[in-house]
Amino acid sequence: MRPVVTLDRVTKRYGDLVALDEVTLAVPQGRFVAVMGPSGSGKSTLLHCAAALDRPTSGTVKMGGTDVGRLSETKRTVLRRKHAGFVFQSYNLLPAISVQDNITLPLRLAGVRPDREWLDELVHRVGLRDRLHHKPAALSGGQQQRAAIVRALAARPDVVFADEPTGALDLRSAGQVLDLLRELVDELGQTVVMVTHDPAAATRAHETLVMADGRVIDVLDAPAPEELAVRLTRLAGGEPVR
Amino acid sequence: MIRIALAMARIGGLVVVFVAVLGGMALLTATGVIVDSGFRSQLPLRLVQAEVMVSARQSIPVKEDLPVALPERAPVPGSLVGVVREVPGVAAAVGDLSFPAAVVSGTSPPVPGGPATAGHGWSSLSLSGRLTAGRVPRGQDEISLRDGRLGERLRVVAGGRPATYRVTALVDAPGLYFSDAAAATLAGRTSGGRAGTVDLVAVRAAAGVSPDELARTLRQRLGDRYEIATGRYRSDAESPGAVAGRGLLLVLPGSIGGVSLMIVGFVVGGGLSLSINRQRRELALLRAAGATPRQVRRVVAVQGLAAAAPALAPGAALGYFLAARLGDLLVGIGALRADQPLVYGPLPAIAAALLLLGVVRVASWAASLRVSRMPVVSGVADLGEPSPFRTNAGLLLILASLVLSGAPLAVRTEAAAIGPATAAPLAVIGLALAGPRLVQRAAGALARSRFVARLSGPCWLAVHNTHGHALRTAGAVAALGMVVTLGLSVTLTQTTLAEARSAQAAPAMRGLVTITAPSLSGIPRGLLEEVRELTPAAGMVTTTVVTGPLAFADNPRLTARPVLGLGPDAEGLVDLDLVDGALSRLTGAAVALDEQVGRVGERLDVIMGDGARVEATVVATYRRGLAFGPIVVSRDLAAAHTTTGLDSAIMARPAALAPLLARWPAVEVTGATQGPQAGVASGQALVNLAVLAVLLAYLLVAVANRLVATTTARRDELDVLRRLGATPRQLRRMIRWEAVLIAAGASGAGIVLAAVPLVMLGIGFLSRPVPAGPLWLVPGSVLVVGLVVWLAVELPARRIR
Repeated sequence: MRPVVTLDRVTKRYGDLVALDEVTLAVPQGRFVAVMGPSGSGKSTLLHCAAALDRPTSGTVKMGGTDVGRLSETKRTVLRRKHAGFVFQSYNLLPAISVQDNITLPLRLAGVRPDREWLDELVHRVGLRDRLHHKPAALSGGQQQRAAIVRALAARPDVVFADEPTGALDLRSAGQVLDLLRELVDELGQTVVMVTHDPAAATRAHETLVMADGRVIDVLDAPAPEELAVRLTRLAGGEPVR
Repeated sequence: MIRIALAMARIGGLVVVFVAVLGGMALLTATGVIVDSGFRSQLPLRLVQAEVMVSARQSIPVKEDLPVALPERAPVPGSLVGVVREVPGVAAAVGDLSFPAAVVSGTSPPVPGGPATAGHGWSSLSLSGRLTAGRVPRGQDEISLRDGRLGERLRVVAGGRPATYRVTALVDAPGLYFSDAAAATLAGRTSGGRAGTVDLVAVRAAAGVSPDELARTLRQRLGDRYEIATGRYRSDAESPGAVAGRGLLLVLPGSIGGVSLMIVGFVVGGGLSLSINRQRRELALLRAAGATPRQVRRVVAVQGLAAAAPALAPGAALGYFLAARLGDLLVGIGALRADQPLVYGPLPAIAAALLLLGVVRVASWAASLRVSRMPVVSGVADLGEPSPFRTNAGLLLILASLVLSGAPLAVRTEAAAIGPATAAPLAVIGLALAGPRLVQRAAGALARSRFVARLSGPCWLAVHNTHGHALRTAGAVAALGMVVTLGLSVTLTQTTLAEARSAQAAPAMRGLVTITAPSLSGIPRGLLEEVRELTPAAGMVTTTVVTGPLAFADNPRLTARPVLGLGPDAEGLVDLDLVDGALSRLTGAAVALDEQVGRVGERLDVIMGDGARVEATVVATYRRGLAFGPIVVSRDLAAAHTTTGLDSAIMARPAALAPLLARWPAVEVTGATQGPQAGVASGQALVNLAVLAVLLAYLLVAVANRLVATTTARRDELDVLRRLGATPRQLRRMIRWEAVLIAAGASGAGIVLAAVPLVMLGIGFLSRPVPAGPLWLVPGSVLVVGLVVWLAVELPARRIR
């Protein structure tokens, strides 16, 4: 399987703080990867660097075969538009425009014609067909997040980055969103990288990267929730892991 | 609570409030200084040693309104001097006379009060100054003054009579002093209607008698037929012209004061609502944490007052500075005399501060009403919908303004222009209220159009943002539309009226020249007769009369109006476009009227400028009322009731006047095209325009400031867009397109709202649906609006990298 995103000895520093410490990673196509770890472990920084939202201090990030580090802000944006989709904890739907316009917005920004059939299929799949002409404020949180997922997939990206996608949702909506993500991976061959706090969320992934102090300290293959919970509790206790 | 409020405050929003209050304070203080001066500004006192002055009443009381000031001197009988002298407590009483006098050979410094009242009798000096050298002038050709040489011979025009005088004395008081006998002759008190009168009786109190005590005694003895002045009111008794002149100061800011208060309220309110919108989330959290709506409103009010308070002192300082500039302008156009300074009291600043704090309090209450009542659970992501009540009220106001603009179609006197002038401010308030809904509708239609759907991402987003954030956009659109509407309508209303006036004046004065003598305060006696030997000529007197309402929409009580006095000699020279009667009958107690105001043969009660009541007969009616005003009085009547008794100008057919005029000093000839009403009106127009310019500049700065704050506050929104794949370039383009939409919306709305009243005005006054120019103001105002929006948006947009 061809890797969609690779990180090679990526370090990110904010002043004295080392947020990422020489992380090397490859995300193969068609995989659902969860990233977990306590607050401040560097999981969000990892996501930002892998998604080319941010530039690493050292090391190389490749997306679609291109070295992200050397690109200007505009070039990185264009690259992201082509290869990556995003799902955020706070949905980030623009309140001023309809759900449908929100979904096609990245395409519009990229100057790409939307693929009607593909979008119809996605909308049908997430069950938002009759909500398309509403403003986001008229939708429930779960519906908004599902709209955001359609938006992330609209341009058929190589990889979808999800940052705490269930963080703001109730249990039932969260379950629906996670099922949806897994479905996309299984049925459409989509690649998903998801940062999460929730062990239950991580169990839907193929593999879970556990981070602490800016490093990936463990990779668990389809872990059972209990196993994950134990590992994370130990990390939260501050016990040093070598 | 106060601590929480201050901790929550976002500096960005409050800076907008601060700037709004600063500018508002400056504007209101400056206006206040003008108004204050309108009540209290005085010429320097001449008769400094007189503690009490007895003069005729120089004003007519009006029920429930300010008294109407009479600018022309009403004399008192000379016998009054003797009566006053006998009153116990009076050490000395002098009958004071003032008459026009000016040295025409060489240069002499200007006299306080001007040449119209520079000549006095010698006895007045005992209360105004001292003899410093030489001896008392006794003969008809002797004179004394402050700046001269003993024995020098001076060419002087006094009481309209040119003659040569010898300086026999030097004094330390301003003005020219003649022997009492000569003064009485020159002031016209030896014969005619004013024989034996004096201007006022100046009184010095005996030792140990206080001026107030003496005034009380005098009032008991003389009754209330006379004005008895002490303290600073003595100056008013000395110069009734200055009292009437400063009344103009009350009118000037009054015409635009309402608009400025409205603009200040609008800007301050806008700043506050911006500040509130930026902390909607926090305010919602405050509610969630258990604050009552009332407490939330208090938080907002405290923030507003905290931002307003530090702006008060610098704003007031700026206001006094602005008032001084405005004073210079007033002096420049002749609305205020150079020696009549503005009064810089603390009152205007205090009043402005109280008013503004009130505005801030009310505006913060109104702006926070909805946020404070927001249900605790919802609302954080809510964009806010304009309330239907607000929209309907706004549309109603716009409708009312359209109705008002129709006034010139019905009536064609100057008063009809009030309709369109009121229409513009009403329309802009309407725009501010209905703005959000209008923007929402307009941008919505645009957003749905096929054309926009095909546009590039940034442009498409700009249209949709304008639609979706209608409340945010509408504030800027309404404020900038206000600039366009007010700028265009006020300016072009003035120019249209001026053009209508001169369109009437030009044919009325066609082929005439005007002879004036401004440095003498009037045409010297004898000049008219000499001119008449060469060419047809007519004398003209300008004065003030007070009448009841004459035309539709006039003040229902008494109104003082500047009027022209013409005599039979004007027949065939000045063309009033007579409907009936003849100018040749303008003698004695006769008047001519605008045809819309009366008919020949009617009687009209007129109060002359010195308070004399006259029942005049209407002997002619005319059409050119815009140029000549609604009433023209007979020259005899006018001259008998002015301070100087002199003609103001001579209108004559052109002839070889040069040799004649060379013999008459200080006389000027000009081509006559302006009507007599034009001077006053254009002065007023100029001040209005100056105040308007300051107002609009303030409004523009406030809008720009607000736009910068709004754009800067959109960082979160822009971050989201970037994560969704917008390049910095696209974001900048989006913001620029939004700016274009704001500028276009504002210009469009502003022009439409200004156009309706202006078209009506054009039809009513110029018989064409186009107002008088300069019409480049239309593209000009669009350009200014565009420039301000561009600058305000470009600054934060450039920071997007």
